[in-house]
Amino acid sequence: MCKNPYIPHTATVEDTWFETGGERCIKTFKVVFDDEKVRDQWSHLPGQCAMIGVLGVGESMISISCSPTEGQFLRFSVMRMGKVTQALHELEPGDKMMVRGPYGNNFPVDEWQGKKILTIGGGIGQAPLRPIVEYVRANQDQYEGLTMIYGARTSNDLCFKGEFEEMSKCDDLSCHLTIDVEEEDWQHNVGFVPQMLLDLDPSPENTIAITCGPPIMIRFVLENLKKLGFEDEQIYTTLENRMKCGIGKCGRCNAENMYVCKDGPVFNYSVLKEIPEAFA
Amino acid sequence: MSAMLLNKEKWPEFVGKLTGKNVWAPQSDGTEMRFAPVGENEKVVLDYNNTRVPPKGALFPQTETMFKFEIGSDKVEEPPLDQEVVVLGLRPCDARAMTIVDKLFKWDIDDPYFVKRQEKTTLVGLACNEPGLNCFCTSVGGGPAATEGLDVIMADLGENYFVEALTDKGKALLDETRDLLEDADDDAQKQKEKLSGEAEDKIKRSVETEGVPEGLPGLWDDPLWPRVSASCLGCGTCTYLCPTCHCFDIQDETEGIDARRCRMWDSCMFSEYTLHTSGHNPRPTRKERTRNRINHKYSYYVDKFDVIACVGCGRCTNLCPVNIDIIEILRQVKEAL
Amino acid sequence: MDLELLRKTGAEVAARDDVKYLLGWKQGTYGYRVAPAFVENAAGAAELIFSPLCTANLATYLTLVEQLPVPRGEEPDTRKVALMVKGCDSRAVTQLLVEKGIERDEVVVIGCPCPGVVDPALLAEKYPETEEPAEMKWDGEDFLLIRNGEETKISRDELLAEKCRLCRYPNPVVSDEMLGEPVETWAPGEDKGVEEVEAKDVDSRLEYWMDQFDKCVRCYSCRNVCPLCYCQDCILDRLNPTWVNRSVNFSENTAFNIARAFHLAGRCIECGECERVCPANIPLGKINRKLARDVRDKYGFEPGVDPEAEPFQASYKPDDPEDFIL
Repeated sequence: MCKNPYIPHTATVEDTWFETGGERCIKTFKVVFDDEKVRDQWSHLPGQCAMIGVLGVGESMISISCSPTEGQFLRFSVMRMGKVTQALHELEPGDKMMVRGPYGNNFPVDEWQGKKILTIGGGIGQAPLRPIVEYVRANQDQYEGLTMIYGARTSNDLCFKGEFEEMSKCDDLSCHLTIDVEEEDWQHNVGFVPQMLLDLDPSPENTIAITCGPPIMIRFVLENLKKLGFEDEQIYTTLENRMKCGIGKCGRCNAENMYVCKDGPVFNYSVLKEIPEAFA
Repeated sequence: MSAMLLNKEKWPEFVGKLTGKNVWAPQSDGTEMRFAPVGENEKVVLDYNNTRVPPKGALFPQTETMFKFEIGSDKVEEPPLDQEVVVLGLRPCDARAMTIVDKLFKWDIDDPYFVKRQEKTTLVGLACNEPGLNCFCTSVGGGPAATEGLDVIMADLGENYFVEALTDKGKALLDETRDLLEDADDDAQKQKEKLSGEAEDKIKRSVETEGVPEGLPGLWDDPLWPRVSASCLGCGTCTYLCPTCHCFDIQDETEGIDARRCRMWDSCMFSEYTLHTSGHNPRPTRKERTRNRINHKYSYYVDKFDVIACVGCGRCTNLCPVNIDIIEILRQVKEAL
Repeated sequence: MDLELLRKTGAEVAARDDVKYLLGWKQGTYGYRVAPAFVENAAGAAELIFSPLCTANLATYLTLVEQLPVPRGEEPDTRKVALMVKGCDSRAVTQLLVEKGIERDEVVVIGCPCPGVVDPALLAEKYPETEEPAEMKWDGEDFLLIRNGEETKISRDELLAEKCRLCRYPNPVVSDEMLGEPVETWAPGEDKGVEEVEAKDVDSRLEYWMDQFDKCVRCYSCRNVCPLCYCQDCILDRLNPTWVNRSVNFSENTAFNIARAFHLAGRCIECGECERVCPANIPLGKINRKLARDVRDKYGFEPGVDPEAEPFQASYKPDDPEDFIL
C-alpha cells in the first residue's frame, strides 16, 4: 500500500516577507521540508501547485511560486482571503507549515525549448508565472529570450518587486511593468496590462505567450494576443477553482470535463476555448 | 462456483455465521429502510424495495476521519480500517455504482480510504423481483439481476434464496456458511432466470442515451436548462441519495486539543460547493448547478472513465421534493440534440 | 376548485406587463407528483392545476431565486412575481411581508381557498403509485382519485395531511385576487404528534430525538424548501467561523436541527413542507408545531396572519413570560 496522499508533510518556514499590503495582503513563505527523504523525492516543474495549510484549520491549493532550479526549498505567495490563508499569514520563520503535492500538470517547458517566452501577468497572477521566469533564466541557453509583462492596480500591489531590477540587467530578458493609475516616482508604464501588450507589439513568431491574472484581464489579453497574430496553440493560461483534495477525487474543481487539479491548472488556449465554463 | 440454495428458514443462522465481521444490512428505522450495521439481536429482513439512502457509505462513509492529531503537533494518526465488512442484500444497481466510482477513486492516484474499505468488504447482492416505479437500470447498462461489482448474488425464489458466488471473496464467504447451503438444481437456475426476465419487463421507465454523452456539451446554452432547474430548491437530496455521487468536502474539526481532518459528502447542488473565497462563483445559479449535475453523470464521466455515472436507481427522482425528474430531463436533452 | 377560472385568471395575470412570471402548480411527470409551474405567458397557464395533490408551498421561490448583478447598461427587472397560495402558503407571504423579506408591491397573490390537501406519503402507501400521472379532486367531503381511467372515492379523514387537520386558516389571509368562494373552516384536531412527544419523560424524549436526528443526512432540503428560511448567509453554511461542523453525526445534526427550529420560533407558519420533503422521514413538523404552540400559548402571538404585526422575535413586552430564563 502506497503512502496516503492526503497526509501532508511537515515543512519549516525559513523566511517570510510581505509582497503587498492592505487587507488582502500577499505574504511569501520560503519553506523547507523537515524530512530529508521528502526533500530529495520532491520534484516539481513550473505551473504546479501544492496543498498547503495548518493542521486544525485546513488547507488550500496554492501555486508553487519558485522554480526547481532555485534550490531545495519551496516558495508560496499567499493572498490573505479566507480561513486557511489567514492562518497561513500567522506563520513566521521557524513555524511549521503542512504541505502535500506537487499537484496538477506543468507548463511544457521542455516543448518550449528554442522558443521566445512571453509572460503576461496581473496581480497575484504573477505567482504561477514567476517559476517560468526563473526557469528560463536558469536555462537561458535553451530559450530564445524572455519578455515579461506584469501589472497591478498600484505599485504597492506588484509582487516580487525586488527581483525585477536584477532581471532587467540580463540581455535576453526584458521586463515591462505597469500600474493602472499614475503615481509619483513611478518610472515605468501606466495603463492596463492588455493595452501594454498591444503597445509592445511582440511578434508571435516562434513565441509562446503565457498569461495569468484576474479573469477580466485574461479575457482582454487573449483578445489582444489574437489581434497580434498569435495562434491558439501558442497561448497558455492557468485556471483556478475551489479545490479540496488536489488529486481528482473530491469533484468540485471541474470546468466541464476538465478537472483543474489534474488536467490543469495549465491549459493551452486551443483546449480552453472549447470550454465555456472555464471562463465562467 | 456452482449455484446454491439457502432455505429462508436458515437465513437468521446464515447471518449469525457472519458475526465477527461487521455486517451491514437493510433495516427498518420505523418508517424507512436503511443500511446499518447489524446488532446482535437484530433481524435482517430482505423484503424491501430499496433503501432511500444508498449503501455507498460502506465504502465511502458520509463522514470519514482521514487522520487524527493534536493541536500543536504534526504527528498524525490514520484510522486502521482493518474491519471485515459484509454488506447483505444490496441491490445490483448500488453494487454497480460502486464499480463506477471505483474508477474515479483509483484514477491515477488511489484513494486509500476507499481502496482499504473495498479490500475488506464483501458485497452480497439481492436481485430485484419487483423494480420500483422510477427504476431504469436497464437503460444505463444494468439490470435487476446484474452481477457487476458483487461478490455474491442472491435471488428470492420464494421458499429459498438462490445464492451464487461470483468472486473469490464471495466463494470464501459461502465456504464459511457451506453447511447451511444446498446445491441448486437446474429448476432453481431456470426459476431465477425467469424471475429476472419478468423483473426486467416490469421496468416501465427508460432513458435513451445514444448520442447524449457527445451531445450534451453542445447544449450548453440550451433553454432546457433554465426550464428544468427553475423549481430546484438547491438542496442535496438528489446527490446525497445518488449511489454514484462521490463528491466530498474536507474539513478540520477540533474539540479542545483533539482534532481530526475528515471528509464528508458534499453536493454540487449547494452554492458553496464552487464558491471561491473571493466571492466569485463559476456556477452562480441553480441552472449551472443542474446542468453540471446532468453533464457530469452523462457526459464528463463518460469522457473520463467511459461509463455513464448513473445506474438508474431512480432515487433522485423518487425523492426530489419538487418533481425534478432525471428521466424527463434526459428526454428533453434527447429532444434538443 | 373551478379549473377554468384558475387557468383564465392565471392567463390574465401571466400576460400582465408588470408580471415576470406566475408561480402555480402543474401535473407532475408521474404518479401523484405535482410540480411547481413557472408560467411566463398566457398560453402557459393552460397547464395549471389546483388539487388535493398541490402540497408544495410556492412562497419559498419568492426568496430562493438568485438575484444576479444587473449587467452594465441593462435595467434591473422590477416586474412582480405572481403566485398561487393556499391558506398556509399565504401565511408565509404575510410573514415575509412582516419581516420585510419581500415588499407588497413585488408580488401578486392569487388566493386558492383550500379544503385541505392529502398526505402524499400516506396516499402512496395506501394506493400504490404507478408511472401514469394521476389526478385528484375534492368531491364534497371526500377526495376523488383518478388514475388509469379509474375513479376512487376516498374519505377525507383517511388521507388528509396532518397540517391540514390542524389548520385554522384554510382561506388565504392575503391576496390580490381570490379564486372562488372561501371554504368553511373546520375545528382543528388535537395535535397528537406533539402531545405524544410532550408526554414522554426527558430521557425517552432525548432518546426519541436522538433516533430521529441520527437519520438526518444534512441535505438541507428542509431549510431550502422553507419559505421562511431565507437568510442570504446561513450560519449552517458558514465555515469561518464554523458554528456547526459539517460532520454528520448526532451532535452536529442536533445542533443543526435545533438552530433551525429556534430560528423559526414565532415565524413558522406550519405549512409542513420541511417534514414533507425530508428524505430521512424526520418528523420535523412536531418540532416546529411545538414551538409555534408555545409561542401562541405563552405570548398570544401567531405569525403570518397580520401583515401589520411586529416580528415576534424582534418585539419585547414588559409582561413577557420569562419562566424559562434562569
